[in-house]
Amino acid sequence: MGSLARATTVVILLLVCALLLPWESYPRSWKLWYADTFGATSYNPASASVPSTPPATQTEDFEEICPADVKGWRKAQTIAGVKISASPVCMPDNPWAIAAFVQGTNNVKHMALMNARLAPDAVVKGRDLDGDGDPDEIHIRLEVFELNGGSPDLDVPVVQFPIAPGIKPGLWVFAPKSSGMSTENFESIMAQPGIRLPSPAIRVEQGDVVKVTLENTHYMPHTIHFHGVDHPFLDAEGEGNDGVPVTSESPVMPAHTRTYNFQPRQPGTMFYHCHVQVQAHVLMGLQGMFVIEENRPNNWVQTFNIGDGYVRHSSVAVREKYDREYDLHYQDIDKELGERVQASNDPRVITRLIHRDYDITQADADYFTLNGHSFPYTARDALIVTKPDELLKLRVLNGGSEGIALHTHGHKVTISHYDGVEYPEPVRITRDVVWIASAQRLDLELSAKNDGLHSYGEGVWILHDHQEKGVTTGGIGPGGNVGIIVYDKYLEDNGWPMTFGVDWSNYFSEDYYQRKIPVWSSYDDTNRFGDVQGSVWPKLKIVLLLLLSGIALGLIYRWVFAGGKRRDLNASGNKASGDRVSGNKASGDKVPEDKTPGDRRD
Amino acid sequence: MIDLAAIRPGRGGVSQVSSAGLLLRGLLFMGLLLVGLLIGGHVFAQEKGGMAMDHSMQGGMVMDATGMVMNANSERLPEDCEEISRDYEFTVIAGTKYAEPFADTMFGFNQHEWKVEPCSRIIVTFKNEDQVRHQWMVHGLPKYIYDQGMFHMEAAGGHTQVGTFIVPSDDRTYLAHCDIAQHMEKGMKAQLVVGRGDGDLWSIPGLSAKFERSPTATFLPRWIWLGLLLVGFISAAYLWPRLIKSAR
Repeated sequence: MGSLARATTVVILLLVCALLLPWESYPRSWKLWYADTFGATSYNPASASVPSTPPATQTEDFEEICPADVKGWRKAQTIAGVKISASPVCMPDNPWAIAAFVQGTNNVKHMALMNARLAPDAVVKGRDLDGDGDPDEIHIRLEVFELNGGSPDLDVPVVQFPIAPGIKPGLWVFAPKSSGMSTENFESIMAQPGIRLPSPAIRVEQGDVVKVTLENTHYMPHTIHFHGVDHPFLDAEGEGNDGVPVTSESPVMPAHTRTYNFQPRQPGTMFYHCHVQVQAHVLMGLQGMFVIEENRPNNWVQTFNIGDGYVRHSSVAVREKYDREYDLHYQDIDKELGERVQASNDPRVITRLIHRDYDITQADADYFTLNGHSFPYTARDALIVTKPDELLKLRVLNGGSEGIALHTHGHKVTISHYDGVEYPEPVRITRDVVWIASAQRLDLELSAKNDGLHSYGEGVWILHDHQEKGVTTGGIGPGGNVGIIVYDKYLEDNGWPMTFGVDWSNYFSEDYYQRKIPVWSSYDDTNRFGDVQGSVWPKLKIVLLLLLSGIALGLIYRWVFAGGKRRDLNASGNKASGDRVSGNKASGDKVPEDKTPGDRRD
Repeated sequence: MIDLAAIRPGRGGVSQVSSAGLLLRGLLFMGLLLVGLLIGGHVFAQEKGGMAMDHSMQGGMVMDATGMVMNANSERLPEDCEEISRDYEFTVIAGTKYAEPFADTMFGFNQHEWKVEPCSRIIVTFKNEDQVRHQWMVHGLPKYIYDQGMFHMEAAGGHTQVGTFIVPSDDRTYLAHCDIAQHMEKGMKAQLVVGRGDGDLWSIPGLSAKFERSPTATFLPRWIWLGLLLVGFISAAYLWPRLIKSAR
């Protein structure tokens, strides 16, 4: 090849490269020179500016926002002699279960147990020891369930409990001993309503003789530690009673049971949780609120509050002072922890994945829940509903790995109790950001008195963790632990809050939390913030550019250093390959003897 | 709808591999494998949506603190049966100790397969040796006799339940399991074979392999093992003959 042809080739190659190089990549001074010499280029959108994709059709894949209450669970009713107040929210607790929890599962008829799906010995209420008209012997039985667990036959989680649309991390929960299936019915893989996150709030009365039996239906060892509850280290039989494997007892192995005994002398909002490998088990969901109500005559307490939230049958002491009572349980969940129970079906492998592979010191929480749900599901069952001038009691537990900075819109709340201990009235603090450390409980008074301090008036006021990741679900907002204080004037007939902002349909789609839907698409009518249409050409251009540049560099290298002399090249090539062949004969080289690289080039 | 009884292994023949058609067969195999994976994924993806249905649990149920028996039937014949062909009495024992022979399980039954004749009547004594409750539940029976098509026994820890049911005439394999969360997944899965049955169910301890869960899934993502498969295929089909040739 003549040197002219060679030079032409290089020039052509370089020209092609130059054309492929995006205009923005040229040095500013070159672009200025070009503009000075040839005039400014005409309007030319940036090379990445391609049209937006049309907005997603808003018809499919969106869940029903507020499913109809076909079973009539919302209305006020009296079951088995228990008065149950109306639940204002869209998805209320099962009133049959509430009746059974108040009366004791041993004191209600078969029908109530069937409708509540409870075992006859889930909550056994015995004698009235102090003669004040309510039972003081309480025997509670708890089972352990895995939600969103793995299956050897299906590639979807089983016994599902989504915490938000499409978000199904593996979870472990305590639940009152049930009867029958764990799912809604045998054709469904959704958990039945009595088995859910969070583990339910438990209520007993001050001075009750309490037995809590852990019936370990799970495939791993567990215990219960009654955090803050007055309990002896050893029970009357000398058995460990603190739930701590390293100091008080051996854990309860799969399919085994253990009974904890105590008679709490002090009232307050406390905490219960598994104490086996706490760095994993507590954060998997084995944690709940434990409330000891003040002793009053005829005080039949609602032993379980499934899913926490509104207490439909408050204790006598709470009703003396407050109009309504809410249990608020905050949690955070690490996706990488929860998915481990779905990764294998072998208990040995799962045990290793959770307790040895998983490193909490390297972990970050992804999901933030209020009463087991993230926004928008919190609007279905975790609303705080009130009327003007009411006084509400909020029992708040933070079961998460980090503190939360709970902020109430439209209200300033007063802290009445820290960790179940009353704070003296004259020095109580009223504020709108409340810090709650991990495992801490605060009792808050929320006053709906419109005085510009306690309340700014009626409305739909959100309350949320003001550490901003707390209002996301895996980093996508709005999500996380956003809850809402709703005045009943602003509540639709079906229990849905009357809102004046954007359409919520997007938030009820799995795709939204999988980052597939532009965040403002519900009100971005001109699609100005839509997705940029994917185009292959700009990427292909860069790939071509790199490839051609490589070829050009290779050619230049050959011509400069090898001088482009075919004879020399052949000689050296033959020599090199000859060496290789002889050197590799013993080791069985793949290159056939009769075809050297040099020959092939000819 | 999740019809667990429909999940059963297929019966594929073993083909001989000749060196001449190696490449073609290899490609065909990998293509089929990919198609199979795609179809499998699609089918299971479709089953994702759980159905919300009413759960009337009142039908023919006896319940107390020791457990319950639901839809017991010792009289009514299925429409396709003229008479009861035979009576069986089984003792089914549930307990973690029966899981010990199967290292990857935690819960188990003393037996994971029972065989009966069509139209037979079965009296099951269900004994629970654990301290927590367990169930023995048969799916897919005729719905005009058995509500939701199931016969269901639940025994509280340390208790025993006795129940009777009658099976129809067709050759079929029924799923029997414990429906407490994770108990079936961790070993309490068994099958009731009526007549000749219609194939084994998946992942029954000591009987059949797991379906969805490959043993490699925990440490090798699918794309890596597909990649390894490809590398092996290329080395065998392309490099190996050349190696032989160069060695000669």
